Amino acid sequence: MMSLLWQRRASAVLAYLVALGLWYPSPGLCADPDESALMLADSALAVAENASDLRAFAEGEYAGATQRDSNASSYGRRLSFDVQYDHSFSPVWRAVFADRLDANWPKKGSDQNAINTIKEAYLSWRAQPDTILDLGRINVRNGVAIGYNPTDFFRAGALRSVVSISPASLKENRQGSVMVRFQQLWVGGGMTGMYSPRLSNHPSQDAFNPDWGATNNQERWLISVSQKFTDNINPQFLIYQEGHLPLQFGLNLTALTNDATVVYAEWAGGRSPSLLTQAFQQTAPAIPGDTAFYNRLASGITYTTPNKISLTAELQYNGRGMGKEEWDALRHGPLVVYSLYRSWAQLAQDMPTRKMVFFYATWQDALVNHLDLSAMRSADIVDSSQRSWLEVRYHIGHFDYAVQWQRNSGLRFSNFGAVSQMQSWQASLRYYF
Amino acid sequence: MKMPMMKQLTAALILCFLLINMACAGMNPQEILIASDAVRNPDFPFGLTNTLIEYRNGKQTESSTLAIYSKADPNGGQFRSLIRYVAPARDANKLILFSGKDMWFFDPSSKASIRLSPQQRLLGQASNGDVVTVNFAKDYQATTTTEEDSTDGERQPRHCYKLGLVATSPDATYHHIEMWVDTSNTRPVKARFYTESNKLLKTAYYRRYQKVFGIERPTETVIIDGLESDWVTVMRYTEWVRREVPEAWLQRDYLPRFKPE
Repeated sequence: MMSLLWQRRASAVLAYLVALGLWYPSPGLCADPDESALMLADSALAVAENASDLRAFAEGEYAGATQRDSNASSYGRRLSFDVQYDHSFSPVWRAVFADRLDANWPKKGSDQNAINTIKEAYLSWRAQPDTILDLGRINVRNGVAIGYNPTDFFRAGALRSVVSISPASLKENRQGSVMVRFQQLWVGGGMTGMYSPRLSNHPSQDAFNPDWGATNNQERWLISVSQKFTDNINPQFLIYQEGHLPLQFGLNLTALTNDATVVYAEWAGGRSPSLLTQAFQQTAPAIPGDTAFYNRLASGITYTTPNKISLTAELQYNGRGMGKEEWDALRHGPLVVYSLYRSWAQLAQDMPTRKMVFFYATWQDALVNHLDLSAMRSADIVDSSQRSWLEVRYHIGHFDYAVQWQRNSGLRFSNFGAVSQMQSWQASLRYYF
Repeated sequence: MKMPMMKQLTAALILCFLLINMACAGMNPQEILIASDAVRNPDFPFGLTNTLIEYRNGKQTESSTLAIYSKADPNGGQFRSLIRYVAPARDANKLILFSGKDMWFFDPSSKASIRLSPQQRLLGQASNGDVVTVNFAKDYQATTTTEEDSTDGERQPRHCYKLGLVATSPDATYHHIEMWVDTSNTRPVKARFYTESNKLLKTAYYRRYQKVFGIERPTETVIIDGLESDWVTVMRYTEWVRREVPEAWLQRDYLPRFKPE
């Protein structure tokens, strides 16, 4: 009875204070969650930020690795600057520029610490609302698969500086090819055509060299057509030619099987020399080819759980790569031939062996807000070698904090067993301006 | 002289009020739903800026700004939306295309075009279905209606129609919805969204009504998570513009070129 009386007196005092504006109940004190939420909304300062044509970040990294042969540890540092600029200076004209500068200590693979990658630099003209023409250096990327992209025909020679093996990083930090590109859109579809001329025979590792020889050492063209047949089916067809090689064909297809699942398939095929013959032809162009029709395929499924975990499983097949017998023979043959083949496969960003399985998982806001986990595992079915990769990334405000770990395992000279670093880790800090 | 004029004015206002109520009283549940959709969404293509603020346990945890362009499908009538992230800086210029369940994400850095499932939320906390423009009448059937008093987002009492909505389209995000619509002007007051097992997923309050394109529309939505009631998202809409874009732009191949402004 007395307790009830004091409660009533306390409530009356609080009401009096609120009426005078001397006190406002904290959201946490309200029993009704809707009322608490509305009180938060009352005090929300929702300031709309303005869109910017410029996006830039700086990133510092400290890394360590364990060498396979000697078990010795090595350490390194990296500083990177990345800028993207996309400006429309009239309703029909647009300029795009994207560049990345990486500086490594010790030097990585060249005699300079710095390496600059011009990712894109082009002008775009909208001749009609649905007709666009682009001219300059363009990073063209095709393909719906996550790990292996057989229809990503312009990927060869595009990587100047590899900072991470994550699929997104490999596609983001590469130089575009100089080309003219035309796009015609219609309701439900569109056609894109591009022509990339031959500009130079000689790639360069000089720090600020535009490196035309890496991306424009052959005449290339590509035509792609997309058409929506149903709400769920929207395939893309591609035709590509490089130099005097036969035409290559491609198909990209995705579909929703339910609200949580996407299935996809990416196929490329055509007559060409095998990957090994292509490697030999880099040093001895007159070598006769073993031209045949080869298929390349990446097919997978991505399932997303209600708590934001996405799981992808992908089968990868490269008909131009080596089967078990050929691969075993190459691994146990002359080192110079093996090195030539591996270098070419790396440059072409193609699988050296015929079959792999790829798993990829992401967990957004894993356990803690703003903490994202990513994991990847590649398993080579031909030689049983494996690669694992894990990233923990925490983002808050303008900062990203990330730690990556990678392990390569397998027999000597196997696909992943040949990587000189058995295990490595990287800790990075990124600031977005 | 003023008194008779005042009386006439008062009588005219009462008559208008009665006429509006009579008009609403004659509407079936689906018509009420259509009318409330028309309050929320213009019937022409438009753009706006959506500023999202997220709260957990009463503290702000995340903020983002989206530039959104919406246009109704000429065949089905449901909106398609193109969304570009303006802020935070790490997500700036990323794009999402929503066309029913055909959803694509484009990252201008990696040039990746990724097909999303409705369950995926690649960016931010707000559900994909919360940020896009939706005409509920296209995906739901209002099957029941009762009248009751409720409190709106400004804590004002409102006499409302309480509609029961059932999903009729495979594109519908929720299994069923309860929606409160003001009987006097068909303004949406609040809504509760449920799963098939009748689990409350979220509650939304429509508030801060302001004149936009000639009529009073809600310029803020407050979303309260059904499972974790301390998880609140405030979405505030500003910079409304009328804008027509070609149908050909609302597809995956155009994503790399889209700029809402």
